[in-house]
Amino acid sequence: MKTHAIKFLKYLAAAVLFAPALAMASTAMHLDKAPVSTDQQKLQHGAKLFVNYCLNCHSASLMRYNQLQKIGFDKETIEKDLIFTGGNAGSMMTIGMTPDDGKAWFGTAPPDLSLMARAKASEFGSGADYLYTYLRSFYRDKNRPTGWNNKVFANVGMPHALWDLQGEQAARETVDEHGAKTVELVAPTVPGNMSAQDFDEAVADIVSFLVWMGEPVAESRKFIGIFVLIFLVGYYVLTHKLGKTYWKNIH
Amino acid sequence: MSDQKKDCDCDRRGLLLATTVAGGAAVAAAAVPFVASLAPSERAKAIGAPVVADISKLAPGEKMVVKWRGKPVWILRRTPEMLASLETVKEKLSDPDSEKSSQPDYTKNPTRAVNKEYLVAVGICTHLGCSPSDKFKTGSDEGMATDWAGGFLCPCHGSIFDLAGRVFKGQPAPTNLEIPPHVYDDPANPAMVTIGIDSTDSKGA
Amino acid sequence: MAANSSFPKYQSDGTLLGNALEWFDARFPLTSLWKAHLSEYYAPKNFNFWYFFGSMAIVVLIIQFVTGIFLVMHYQPNANLTPSGLPIAFESVEYIMREVPGGWFIRYMHSTGASFFFIVVYLHMFRGMLYGSYRKPRELIWIFGVLIFLCLMAIAFMGYLLPWGQMSYWGAQVILSFFSAIPVVGEDISTLIRGDYVVAGATLNRFFALHVCAVPLALLGLVVAHILALHEVGSNNPDGVEIKKFKDEKGIPLDGVPFHPQYTIGHDLPANVIMLIFFFAVIFFWPEGGGYFLEYNNFLPADPMTTPAHLAPVWYFTAFYSMLRAMTWNFFWIDAKIWGVISMFAGVLILAFLPWLDRSPAKSIRYRGPIFKVLLAFFVVSFAMLCYLGTKGTEYHFFGYTPTEGFNPLNILLSGSFHTKFWTFYYFLFFLTMPYWSKIDKCKPVPERVTFK
Repeated sequence: MKTHAIKFLKYLAAAVLFAPALAMASTAMHLDKAPVSTDQQKLQHGAKLFVNYCLNCHSASLMRYNQLQKIGFDKETIEKDLIFTGGNAGSMMTIGMTPDDGKAWFGTAPPDLSLMARAKASEFGSGADYLYTYLRSFYRDKNRPTGWNNKVFANVGMPHALWDLQGEQAARETVDEHGAKTVELVAPTVPGNMSAQDFDEAVADIVSFLVWMGEPVAESRKFIGIFVLIFLVGYYVLTHKLGKTYWKNIH
Repeated sequence: MSDQKKDCDCDRRGLLLATTVAGGAAVAAAAVPFVASLAPSERAKAIGAPVVADISKLAPGEKMVVKWRGKPVWILRRTPEMLASLETVKEKLSDPDSEKSSQPDYTKNPTRAVNKEYLVAVGICTHLGCSPSDKFKTGSDEGMATDWAGGFLCPCHGSIFDLAGRVFKGQPAPTNLEIPPHVYDDPANPAMVTIGIDSTDSKGA
Repeated sequence: MAANSSFPKYQSDGTLLGNALEWFDARFPLTSLWKAHLSEYYAPKNFNFWYFFGSMAIVVLIIQFVTGIFLVMHYQPNANLTPSGLPIAFESVEYIMREVPGGWFIRYMHSTGASFFFIVVYLHMFRGMLYGSYRKPRELIWIFGVLIFLCLMAIAFMGYLLPWGQMSYWGAQVILSFFSAIPVVGEDISTLIRGDYVVAGATLNRFFALHVCAVPLALLGLVVAHILALHEVGSNNPDGVEIKKFKDEKGIPLDGVPFHPQYTIGHDLPANVIMLIFFFAVIFFWPEGGGYFLEYNNFLPADPMTTPAHLAPVWYFTAFYSMLRAMTWNFFWIDAKIWGVISMFAGVLILAFLPWLDRSPAKSIRYRGPIFKVLLAFFVVSFAMLCYLGTKGTEYHFFGYTPTEGFNPLNILLSGSFHTKFWTFYYFLFFLTMPYWSKIDKCKPVPERVTFK
């Protein structure tokens, strides 16, 4: 009689497992896979790029500078090389620009980036994939007030903050018979300070840092989890054996 | 039921013990993050970070207050008369040599100070946590006893302290006022004092 | 329930602890409660794995209470903005995640616990449908259960507003707008519930009060009532037969075993360890649950000016959300919007009538006929489909199909909105026609005693 119950479970399982496969079929936005790293050197490089290029307009106001010690910085380095806004290592990674100023200057206040890597996940890819693709997809567009547009975020308010590193990409727009517009990026016409490969690596490091910042505890969480699960599996064996002794004499 | 229990008691007892011990350990381990969450957070620690006080403008006989870990820390620049009073009241103190009191080793001296001119003390009565008031004037000017040599009076339960934060005999407060760890940029020419650290080596946030 | 003087009071064995216990027991029904509900509550000996989920729900309830208490110590229900432009409520959740020692663990336990609560409760309810646990004399247990489910939905919905992220905000905005569908007074009622013209700080504060205080109290009371009612009439079992019919000379059911320790330690303890394995696997390795347990857009602070492009409720509400969206026609001069709200609430409330809709001679699926088995299988499909479709947009098509122009049966067969309507229709049809088909179904003879191997 158990078979009925199991049959129902199978129905349920099929419905649940089938569902994501169906969802994937309708992919519309293509995102490059971000080479996210937890290597401290890369995270530190990402952190330096982040404070230099992002932390002028975007805050990371949920992050305290001294937490950067967890990716291998010491306090002196943090206070000397990473803090440009005044304050000490106990301060939050805030910016001088207020949200109202931001709104006046860019149309939308630049969002806080503390959680951006978690927020940007979608059915098309992880938040890291989105950010990795987004930061590499700016192109020159004279029709935009900032002079920049973006392939994955059309008509974005943000200018290309990393343009001196990447150089200036252009875009070729094609319109198919249904009137759908596709944008194709063209290799930088004005070269930047970095080779294409170095730039991709730099962006990957920034993205890795953003992922780390989204949940600084992530690595230790997984580490603790291994021990918890090993314990629980062992504990199950123990309780299962104990439980059986109570049923030995029931017929 | 009792008959059935007897039959399997032997193999069950060991398992029951192991399950209880392991389960108890697991519950204790699971309680760790919950108890830990009651401790000061990163925010509280950052607010409790060392504070730097500029004492260059402090005149003799004046007191300033800075906030460290949410508590008032007094910095009193003592006049020669004030320092002299520390010796005269010694007989009436309950812990004149600060044997039972809380202070860094480098302030366990007659003036309870690094630089004897400056008293740096946590302005919280060791009785029940009120902040004592200044009673710097001598005699009955401050409404104190006629032989009062200057010090502090706790408004809550009347504990009195001398100008080194030492408690008088027969007062509710058990020990002298706490001296926080502190360090001068240049002890010979004090202008800046950092409260919350013991030496300039560990200086930082 | 027999928690009364019929149990002898504890007699001290002369030790200090024994004396203390005797003193205590003379003044409080300690041994009688213990015996009536645990050591001398006789449950059928043929429970299978479907009977795990009730105890699991209690374990999850305890987890939610304990973690909730600790979260309240740090969380701030405040919709005002910090200088950096983040709402204080949103910031305080991340403060717990980042700055409170162990806070991330407590918060993930609470957020994962919400989803697990619904998983075990849905399975617990389905067990009732499989074995006819709602049938006479257990109707009241079932009704208390439906009320618990309603409380659970309320508490989950209100709790979901507290992080004050985009999904929190817009989810609440949409659900609270349902009340505006009520004719004449609807608009005023929804304003009264929100305390403002849109979801705002006032809404956050009252939801906080209800989430941490009022609804948990109601929930706890209903859980007690649910268990008391169960222990009054005794548990059902996979055979759907009453064990009280056959008792030994002491009045103990022949097919009964003491709930403690046979079921507490011998059955539920290992099962709950298995549940905790899944629970902690999610917490430590998959806390976002693929965007279903913690929605990605909720990592963005609430912005009353911008609705997220894709708005779906959390997975445990999606089946009923689908029923809301299934109603797109105006019937009897009544707006589709109102029909949607009615069908959503009816989807939950119809469960309460199950004891009277089911007229089968056999309780358990083991002895029920093919009509029930087939219709129940499709009922599971309908619920799963409604759950799934509720997470998708209204323009959704299966297999990424793009509708073609002109007449094409695939346009309908693969359309999400067609399936939403179809399976909502089936869901209600299953219940409303039950009095008929449950009676004519060909049941097998039900045995007198439980089957036990």
